[in-house]
Amino acid sequence: MKTMSRESPTDEKRFDVLGRMPRLRRMVLSRAFQPVLMLLLLAPFALAVTAGLLGTSAGNRNFGIVFVWIVWWALLMVLLVPGLGRFWCTVCPIPAPGEWIQRRGIIGGVAKLRTLGLRWPRRLRNMWLQNAGFLMLALFSTIILTRPSVSAAVIVGLTGTAVGMSLLFEKRTFCKYVCPIGGFIGLYSMVAPVELRVRDAQVCVDHRSKDCITGNENGYGCPWMVYPGKLDRNLDCGFCTECLKTCTMDNVVVNLRRPGTDLGKPVRGKRIDEAFKALIMLTCSIIYPAVLFGPWATVKAWAGIESLGGWLIYAAGFLAVTLVVMPGLFWLAVSRGQKRSCSGLTIRQAFNEYAHALIPLGLASWIAFSVGFALTNGSYALAAISDPLGWGWNLFGTREAGWTPYLSSTAPGIQAVILLCGLIFSVRTSLRVGFRHDPSGATTMQATSPVAVFLLACTLALLWLYLG
Amino acid sequence: MTGKMGNRAALVVLVLVLAGIPASIVGYQYWLRPALADHRVVDIAALVPENGGFSPDLIRVGVGETITLRFAADDVAHGIAIGPGLDIDLGQIDPGHVGEVTLTPDSPGVYTYYCNTWCSPNHWRMRGILEVVDPTAAGAVGAPPDPIIEALIAASVDIDAKPQLAEGISPDRPNGEQKLETVEVPPGLLDPTWRLSHTPAEGLVALQAQNPEVADDVLTDVTAYLWSEPTPTVEIKELFAKNCAACHGELGAGDGPAATSTLETPVAFADVAWFRRGDIWYAKIRRGGMGTDMPNFGTLFTIEETRLLVDYLWSLSFGES
Repeated sequence: MKTMSRESPTDEKRFDVLGRMPRLRRMVLSRAFQPVLMLLLLAPFALAVTAGLLGTSAGNRNFGIVFVWIVWWALLMVLLVPGLGRFWCTVCPIPAPGEWIQRRGIIGGVAKLRTLGLRWPRRLRNMWLQNAGFLMLALFSTIILTRPSVSAAVIVGLTGTAVGMSLLFEKRTFCKYVCPIGGFIGLYSMVAPVELRVRDAQVCVDHRSKDCITGNENGYGCPWMVYPGKLDRNLDCGFCTECLKTCTMDNVVVNLRRPGTDLGKPVRGKRIDEAFKALIMLTCSIIYPAVLFGPWATVKAWAGIESLGGWLIYAAGFLAVTLVVMPGLFWLAVSRGQKRSCSGLTIRQAFNEYAHALIPLGLASWIAFSVGFALTNGSYALAAISDPLGWGWNLFGTREAGWTPYLSSTAPGIQAVILLCGLIFSVRTSLRVGFRHDPSGATTMQATSPVAVFLLACTLALLWLYLG
Repeated sequence: MTGKMGNRAALVVLVLVLAGIPASIVGYQYWLRPALADHRVVDIAALVPENGGFSPDLIRVGVGETITLRFAADDVAHGIAIGPGLDIDLGQIDPGHVGEVTLTPDSPGVYTYYCNTWCSPNHWRMRGILEVVDPTAAGAVGAPPDPIIEALIAASVDIDAKPQLAEGISPDRPNGEQKLETVEVPPGLLDPTWRLSHTPAEGLVALQAQNPEVADDVLTDVTAYLWSEPTPTVEIKELFAKNCAACHGELGAGDGPAATSTLETPVAFADVAWFRRGDIWYAKIRRGGMGTDMPNFGTLFTIEETRLLVDYLWSLSFGES
């Protein structure tokens, strides 16, 4: 077993995790690996839905809100995505029932999937539905994050949609094209220091049976409809580990790598959905703290849907800023840079490529937001675990645990450091893009400086919100 | 790829998770937990009246039966009390929290559990009935007729007549206390029952008749002192603060936070009480104000509490001792 994968296209060294950890490899190659983790996570989600539907409507005392939007969200954004990339998609219980119905089994089903097997419409094979879904969640976030029944309905709705789509469409169409959570996890997983790749792409080319696509007795063909031989970024891979099981050439590996290796690579095609995904996520990460912690009580009231008219104003403003203002400003920054550059890129191409620079800052911004949110509200978990439905239970003796914000004086400093790291990472990514298109470096600074100014402005806005 | 044993085991786990968790929760809450308790436990959801108020809003309990009432504030903070005469006030229960009380009623009666923290525009509607029944006794339980209200009705007093507004009366109550020894007080004015059925203005007229040589200002001050006796207790002030201040204001100035949303402007005792009889205040408190948003408190307060509350209203008018 090799412990270092061969040179990747970027000539960067990788650490073959499973090659160095045979026990973990055996575990991952087991068919029970993914379903057991899904079942384990299904339990708290089932409790969250039950609590949401039957428990107290006081969000801070309902397990459904506390577990999903404080504990899970913080774990996802602070640890899982930055540290393990798509690992959440490996264990996510939302598509599990649909997949198990397709396969007619949980641990190991039958080879022929129970589905109409429809192909997802070509026009929708992009991230736009995921973008729209996330925007919808973001627009209604003040009620989704505070009303347990609404939160439960969202989880049930997503699961139901996943089941329905599993019956109609092939494989994990829901996860790949619809899931609003999977969309941003995929985007930010490109920063993560973990990747699933083939050891040698030529082995895949030469391997005629392509078991990773067709499946075999060890596993299914890639549920995410990806050909691992051409996989070069985490965004496209759902980390389901099926190709690890099906590859008869022992050519699929899980690598540790330098964070952000996927960023700055050439963007194929003219699609701007991914660029918009990055912009939407970054913008939302600014709007959220602005609404929640900013000095604008009226805007907060509008976002809280205290009146329909107010919310409509908020929604219009939110969508305008997210879909027009920020993309417009970024477009201006990119086009200004390109005018002074000799890269030969069209503005649209540059828009797509430089959008990668938004990803580290966007992720840092979400981490900063989540860290603050978790430190402020994490103590609710103590009461919620003892009294998950707010019915007066005291299962673990912590029902009366009061609300205690942790590290309230140091949290802004931590957030500032996270944001500055994100800024540095983002500027570095923009330089990487710039140098790739201008290897001589003659006009790289001119091309990237407007983008850097855009990134700096976003960071300063965030620092102002967090530090006051 | 198939593993029948593994699949079956996983299916069992799946069923346990998806059906077992909700079933366990419901079963524990509604079957096991009550079954393990050595007496009846009633869970009462407390929501603002616009969203249903108390659920359940009627609880029957037998005389001598021990019962635990668990009030869960499910939306906003509620203050839970049970009256009249039970002296149960659970205080404020924050959203998502539960307050409970265990009681063993020893006689039949009808009590009201109610919210005494301003929770919504319809806050005062947030009430439920706790009916204590004696299975061995025949007949319905209920409050006996109230003699004060009965007397008002018999005398054709219009309890709901709008009060006349006073003009520029601002008696000096401490001065009245000092001057009390210098004036001759008719015996009726020293009788709380007489004062209850007469206005301070009528008392002033009686004082003027008895003391023609004394200045009106002094007599006004003495009247104010007499009408604001006895000195209000902390409990009565708290009763006012929790149940009345939302509309009538903390100091009885008619400027509570809910004052702008009531049908009629709440009475400002500090300004207009001079021309009202105490028994009319008493009646309005106990049976509510017709055509206004003044709720009835007769099911919440004891007669004694209501009397003391009326005395406190005069204190608000004339200043406390």
